[in-house]
Amino acid sequence: MDISGTYLFNAPPRQVWSLLMDTTAIARCVPGCRELRPVGPDRYETELSVAVAAISGDFKGTIELADKLPPQSYKLIVSGTGRPGFVRGTATITLAPHESGTAVQVAASANAGGLIARVGQRLLEGVARMMMDRFYQCLASQLDSGQG
Amino acid sequence: MSATVAAPAPARVFGSGIRRREDPRLLTGTALYTGDFTLPGQTYAAILRSPHAHARIRKIDTARANAAPGVVAVFTGADSEGVLKPIPCAWLIPNSDLKTAPYRPMAKDVVRFVGDAVAVVVAESAHQAYDALELIDVDYTPLAAVVDPQKAAEAGAPQLHAEAPGNIAFHWTVAGGDIDAAFKAAGVIVRDRIVQQRLIPTAMEPRGAVAQYVRATGELTLWNTTQNPHIVRFIMSVVTGVPEDRLRVVAPEVGGGFGSKIPQIQGDFITAFCAMQLGRPVKWVETRSENYISTTHGRDHVQEVELAATRDGRILGLRATVWAGMGGYLSTAAPGIPTILHGLMLSGPYQIPAIKEDVFGVYTTTTPVEAYRGAGRPEATYMLERLIELLADEIKVDPVEVRRRNLIPPFENGHAVVTGLTYDSGNYPGALDKALAQVGYDNLRQEQAAARAKGRYIGIGVSTYVEICGLGPSQVAGAVGFQGGLWESAIVRFHPSGKVHVFVGISPHGQGEETTFAQIVADELGVAVTDVKIVHGDTDNTPMGWGTYGSRATAVGGAALAVTTRKIKEKARLLASHLLEAAVEDIEYAGGKFFVRGFPDRSKTIQDIALMANVAWNLPQGMEAGLEASSFYDPPNFTYPFGAHIAVVEVDPETGHVELKRYVAADDCGHQINPMIVEGQVHGGVAQGIGQALWEQAVYDPNGQLLTGSLTDYAIPRADVLPDMEVLSTVTPSPHHPLGVKGIGEAGTIASTAAVYNAVIDALEPFGVRTLQMPLTPERIWRAISQSASAGRKEA
Repeated sequence: MDISGTYLFNAPPRQVWSLLMDTTAIARCVPGCRELRPVGPDRYETELSVAVAAISGDFKGTIELADKLPPQSYKLIVSGTGRPGFVRGTATITLAPHESGTAVQVAASANAGGLIARVGQRLLEGVARMMMDRFYQCLASQLDSGQG
Repeated sequence: MSATVAAPAPARVFGSGIRRREDPRLLTGTALYTGDFTLPGQTYAAILRSPHAHARIRKIDTARANAAPGVVAVFTGADSEGVLKPIPCAWLIPNSDLKTAPYRPMAKDVVRFVGDAVAVVVAESAHQAYDALELIDVDYTPLAAVVDPQKAAEAGAPQLHAEAPGNIAFHWTVAGGDIDAAFKAAGVIVRDRIVQQRLIPTAMEPRGAVAQYVRATGELTLWNTTQNPHIVRFIMSVVTGVPEDRLRVVAPEVGGGFGSKIPQIQGDFITAFCAMQLGRPVKWVETRSENYISTTHGRDHVQEVELAATRDGRILGLRATVWAGMGGYLSTAAPGIPTILHGLMLSGPYQIPAIKEDVFGVYTTTTPVEAYRGAGRPEATYMLERLIELLADEIKVDPVEVRRRNLIPPFENGHAVVTGLTYDSGNYPGALDKALAQVGYDNLRQEQAAARAKGRYIGIGVSTYVEICGLGPSQVAGAVGFQGGLWESAIVRFHPSGKVHVFVGISPHGQGEETTFAQIVADELGVAVTDVKIVHGDTDNTPMGWGTYGSRATAVGGAALAVTTRKIKEKARLLASHLLEAAVEDIEYAGGKFFVRGFPDRSKTIQDIALMANVAWNLPQGMEAGLEASSFYDPPNFTYPFGAHIAVVEVDPETGHVELKRYVAADDCGHQINPMIVEGQVHGGVAQGIGQALWEQAVYDPNGQLLTGSLTDYAIPRADVLPDMEVLSTVTPSPHHPLGVKGIGEAGTIASTAAVYNAVIDALEPFGVRTLQMPLTPERIWRAISQSASAGRKEA
């Protein structure tokens, strides 16, 4: 499953970069995120509650940041497991100046397994895209409201 | 159908379409299935299954699950290792370099399909058991998956088992005649690459078991939804170590099987293991979602085939290579299906001078594959019927005419084909003629042409078939590596009141043998059918039997029953001669009465005899008391039912939707014991075969995730999309069977896939579409039409 998107932020890349690295903001904006706990340099443990169609459940997982080139790009490596199955994915995030702000490009590829793949596969991509949209829109709105 | 009233024949219960005695309890919901049994102190098992198609298990942490509310115990593969033996494969095809790999009831180090059992939670309630599953932490290292059997056999494919290099479970060959000469002499050769897609049997009742182990006696009782309780006892004994005399297997009401309840699967052994470890009864019943990954699948062939023929359409030879997906492990009977039940049937109803097929059984990281209704024969029939259509298209001769030129002429007692089988009896042109007359073939072709002129696309599809049933002679079973016998047994017992108890080894599960077996006994003995009770399914009170599959219950079990009743009649005749004071040679038997020839009033009913035999006041010298007999019937040959099916469809070129307009089935299963049940079996089989042609497919993603994991995504046939079926029959008795019957359980599935497929391709003929991948979904058809339309525009 490959998904991609571009999100516009009303701030220069350096400011957006620090927002994207801010664990408090991330934890607030990841849909269903209960916790984001640093467990090492650029490595976090997380607990998420996710619902795909009739399947809902808690995922425990890790998030890793890699190949950081501030304020241009980084890689996000995510893996989670829970009763509904597992999700593994990587995303490449690129920041570029866009008019007076920043365009954040996300290119992600993910695999899912278990019940979530078996029963929810037709909705999985839509749910993933929705979660991604909500995440970046939430971050962008934090910037707008001055919280970032 | 016909309202013509013939002169009333003397009512004979054999051959009459009496209603099934099973139905009242099934239709009123009072029948008891495995899941309905609840024992004192019972616990509930939930099985943790691998979400990965292929992975190494690094660590399993069960501590949190163990501490969860209501949890009695948690076990993993490490706990059962050394206690349970691996699940044996029971069909070890000889001369095939067969490589079995250990199939553990719970995986220990490596999982090999999504659904492979990893751990089990036993709790006081089912909900508590399922909740605690979430608390087990398994640390997996994912390994590469491979789901396509042909790709799994290629160099560089991910390897499943050290025991099976290249993932090859076996390589089996069937060869007869001079295949090279056939292809050298050919005026025309047609080829196809056929994917017999993987199907999910979807029995209405999923798998399940209730196990009770009494430590004081060492006795294990297993209520199990199975087609073959005696084989379960045998294999369960091997795996658990409980001696067969301390093992009782009960198949209560069984809600469908279609092959998926032949094998013993991981859950059965896990349930027994938990009961033995805990000394408390344990129940495990699959959810539907679990059923789709843990219970066996069917088909999954990739076939590369070619047919050599003369320019006037006479078949010279058939050559094929098949990659048959076996899944992650070899299921109980799996290797026999693409080989013995498929490769040996490649001549079908046709005269084919030379045949060669190579079959590779291939391990893939998928749910194990087993028999599914038809089992091997639909895959052979489809292959032949497709090639004949391609041949007809190539030489521009009507496909029915091409079939006629190649059908084996009628025979009554034995016809040998080059694969080594000897068919028992057949009249293949007779069945074809009957189906053609019913459908009005010639008129239909004219209607088709007229419709095309108006932009409507009607298709007519024909399929003939012959199948191998009544498995089978035990000597042959042994020779082809089946790890058991294939005979059947029956005990018939008269009570003093003249009522009859029948105990059979066969274990019916929806086929209606409680009715048809009673009809056999009533007909043979001259008692009322309502006076006969059939007992089956419990290994503690029935004689040994090898199960209901391969359309063998009536063909073999029914024969055992007939032979047994004849023994009873012989003894009853001796007793009648003694009581009537007449010579045995002078005793005749008709209508349930023994009488002295020429003196019909000097008679004893069979009930009189039963009473006298049971009280034993006045028996002839040396005669034992009681009126009871048993037999073991080992058939001298298989039976070979056959027929011809014709489907008429209309394809909507705008949407690709297929409408089934008519369906005609002409089947010959020899003498029919109950025509209504025969018709019902044909209906069900046809529905499942159409399902393969049009709707059903188990889809895995490249990582081995089953994407069609529920009834939302796996399209089983529904009543509202099926046509009225016009069910006809011809009668060609089996020459070797005591009742002249052959078997009808699978016929519909064997013919209907090819008939419907051929009809759709026929409808698409104006678009130049010659082959499409099953199932023929509207999207696939629409795309094929669109591509052909755009290609046409380019040419123009």
